[in-house]
Amino acid sequence: MPVSLNYIFKRIILSILVVIGVIVFSYILLLYTPGDPAVKWAGNPRGPEARKAIEMARRELGLDQPIHVQIAQFIYHVFTGNLGLSIAYKVPVSQVITSGFTATLELLVFAYLLAVPLGLWLGIYSALRRGSRFDSFIQSLSVVLASMPTFWLGAIIALISYSTTGFLPYGRVSYKLAASTGFNPITGFYLLDALIQGNYAVFLDALLRIIPPALAISVYPIGVVARVSRTLVAEALLEDYVRTAVAWGVRRNTIIKHFVLKSIIPPVIQISGLAFVYSIVDAMVVESLVFGREGLGSILLDSLHKADFRVTIALAIYLTIFYILVNTIVDIIQASIDPRVKI
Amino acid sequence: MVLAVRAGGISIGYIDEEEEYIVWAVRGVDLAIEEGDAFCLVGESGSGKTTFASAIAGILPPHAVTRGKLYIFDRLAIDESTWNFNGLRGRVVSYIPQNPGTSLSPFLTVEDHFYYVLRDTLRYDREKSRKAAMEALLKVGLDRGVLEDYPHELSGGMQQRVLIAIALASNAKIIVADEPTSAIDANLRASVLQLLGRLNREYRVTLLLVTHDLASTSIVCNRLAVMLAGKIVETGRTISVLRNPQHPYTKMLLDCVPLLGVKKPLKPLPGEPIQVVEDKAICPFRERCPRAIDKCVEEPPLKPVGDEENHYVKCWRLTGVESG
Amino acid sequence: MPPSLPFIRLVHRNLRKYRFKIGLSITIAILVLSLISQYIAPYPREGLGYVPVGEENRRLLHPSPQHLFGTDTLGRDLFSRVIMASRSAIIQAFSVVFLSLIIGLIVGVLAAYFKGLVELVLNYLTELFMAIPSIVIALFFRLTLEAGFHVVIISLVTTWWAWYARITYVYAKGVVELDYVVLAKLSGLSSAKIIMRHVVGVIIQPILVQAISDLGSALLEASGINFMGLGLPPGYPDWGVILYEGISEMGIMAFTRTPWLVFYPGLFILLTTLGFTLLADPLREDLDPRLRRRWKLWF
Repeated sequence: MPVSLNYIFKRIILSILVVIGVIVFSYILLLYTPGDPAVKWAGNPRGPEARKAIEMARRELGLDQPIHVQIAQFIYHVFTGNLGLSIAYKVPVSQVITSGFTATLELLVFAYLLAVPLGLWLGIYSALRRGSRFDSFIQSLSVVLASMPTFWLGAIIALISYSTTGFLPYGRVSYKLAASTGFNPITGFYLLDALIQGNYAVFLDALLRIIPPALAISVYPIGVVARVSRTLVAEALLEDYVRTAVAWGVRRNTIIKHFVLKSIIPPVIQISGLAFVYSIVDAMVVESLVFGREGLGSILLDSLHKADFRVTIALAIYLTIFYILVNTIVDIIQASIDPRVKI
Repeated sequence: MVLAVRAGGISIGYIDEEEEYIVWAVRGVDLAIEEGDAFCLVGESGSGKTTFASAIAGILPPHAVTRGKLYIFDRLAIDESTWNFNGLRGRVVSYIPQNPGTSLSPFLTVEDHFYYVLRDTLRYDREKSRKAAMEALLKVGLDRGVLEDYPHELSGGMQQRVLIAIALASNAKIIVADEPTSAIDANLRASVLQLLGRLNREYRVTLLLVTHDLASTSIVCNRLAVMLAGKIVETGRTISVLRNPQHPYTKMLLDCVPLLGVKKPLKPLPGEPIQVVEDKAICPFRERCPRAIDKCVEEPPLKPVGDEENHYVKCWRLTGVESG
Repeated sequence: MPPSLPFIRLVHRNLRKYRFKIGLSITIAILVLSLISQYIAPYPREGLGYVPVGEENRRLLHPSPQHLFGTDTLGRDLFSRVIMASRSAIIQAFSVVFLSLIIGLIVGVLAAYFKGLVELVLNYLTELFMAIPSIVIALFFRLTLEAGFHVVIISLVTTWWAWYARITYVYAKGVVELDYVVLAKLSGLSSAKIIMRHVVGVIIQPILVQAISDLGSALLEASGINFMGLGLPPGYPDWGVILYEGISEMGIMAFTRTPWLVFYPGLFILLTTLGFTLLADPLREDLDPRLRRRWKLWF
């Protein structure tokens, strides 16, 4: 079913409501859970500076003002990215979150650039040979791979790579190497930065470290995309217009390329988008605990361990915003390539 | 005389999901269609007419099974269970489908449809195919403006005309039209049929029209065959069959539809369409036939009718076996 | 006719399929294991998470006849922990899917049956909850509540029910417009009866099949949350928790030196999920008759 513009418009309105809802909920959580909100916001400080820090947190939140003013102020702070200093990292919260997002996104995008084309190819190829050995092999493999916990698969990939090459993919880049070659990350996407600066040693190192976690993360989208595109192609091949085109003398390759593939691209984009947002959690789990990469996962764990309340809350809010953003973008892309939707 | 289509004892069936039995839709049909003919295949649902037409168009589904031989312009297209439609589809035989709404890809413009068909059949480039498309659209009475349109932007009647134009564009010698009028509004039916008739007369295209509607045959066709339960029960020149129907089934078909210029009471067709699963040689109409005789448990041969040219009928009543 | 009958027939029809048999065997095995594991576990107390006292030399033992899967960082028998964790897996997977299914079914059918404002509000609610990642809910719970099953289950259900509401709504929307439902309304049948018999009864099959295959996804997602330490408390017999302890407490080199700590709990997650998927897949194919036919690339 094509997505209509009207639907997208409604979605955007709803998305804004969801985001505001999550922000308000976070704030209420801060106010009404046990403990002084200012103490929590300051991260349960101890020592001589504690009173000053709590006083500052109280001013930041505007706790002496009426609640609706506080909430409006908080929403404003969220959208301007101004949530103060992180307790654990001693840098602005927005900076912590941004660096987490770039790190995790680099991994996710890398994994998906690998996964979606591969899954699409596998799905199409097995649909064209439905019932063949190749098809049943891919089908069984995708069932098994889809049943694996990503973090477990990641651990096994790390184990294999360690026992075969003696190299344990850990972190995002070797800091010794980065420092010695004067690597200077600008965008935060290390692969991109290294490439722009022509620093191929760092690029190769970062590449070697991103491949194993990306492999682990890509298994889920490969399975999903392969499965969905197989069904879609198989169904499209049964369409009247394919039969008619055959009767008109259109060749097999033309039919597959222009009649079948064009019809499955919009739903494949949609399903990839859904898988992408699902994979964010996968990536957070795998990158931090299995591969020791900094990113959203490590920030989440650190903020919980160090009671860095503002980072935890900021993470929850921005994660929701990002989640919704991806969904909306996917809908817009889908609508813009479907000729049945007028732009 | 060149035969456009020649079927020799052809049977077509569909195998079921568990591959345990075959339902035969066409059962031992012999048929010859001459070049330039406008040939009508008439029958009720389940009579096998659409299956037969798909065999000629080369689009039998993969779960179909065949016996017998089918020649298209002396090329052997179906030889027992092997099919070879290479070079026939589009270039020799083209096809007008039943349902215009689902027969054009919703993701391609009309021009794209023309382009892919003409590129693959006649090796035309974009420009040449555009020119050919415009010519074909002119023939069916459509404006060149539809070239940029997507199928959903056209009305049902326009979609059907586009389908006809694409079928025409590759200069195929035979056009198979599978109930082209059943899915469009009644007021457009006559014009589509007239269009098909005109194309047949003016461009010498051999036309095979599949229909359940006897009235449409008289507008377009010079020859017709009546199919029942996978067999041809009567065939001949349209005028001859319509004026002087011999088979009881044809008579009943004529009794239940109004014909232009003929005043007569309309009678409903009794009985249900016949489902044939077992492959026994009996007269398929026996159960519903008002004039059935004992002999009808055997299958009658296709015999010529009186002195009419090419008029054949498959009925024991007309082969001298009146009593019994 | 009760609505469950066609489903039983559907299951019966697929009993002879190879994949279905494997799926059923695995599922039954895990279910039985979850019931009897505490009686057959060699060290049931350690399985529950108690640390053996005074046996420091038992830490991180390799798999052996005494300890089939070896021992963990605190010297607990891993075999006992892993098999006793099957209960937690079953509880989480089934309660998440069951609760989501019930809520989603009710919301979806009501939205489709009662048009107008009800439809609008329920659909907005559905969209709202679909847009929140479950890890965010888990985070909120983690900040406010004690660790435990309720954190995992509620945070998953909060987002999952919306998916069932969506598919139920789509299926039900197609059914409520049909003539026989309209006729049932006209004949004065009560709404509750129409909904149960003529709407839910008709659409329940594909939704149930979806639910069965989702049991696996629920387990994977719950394990992920537990693995991050957001759900069940440390030491609890749960595969996600065991994996977390195996990896995080040993540092990143853990699985190169002590791979059994990671391997066995993950293997059980894999097997259980696989069982649910193999159970649902043949049923799903059965419900899609268009794709059952013999097929080859014919043109």
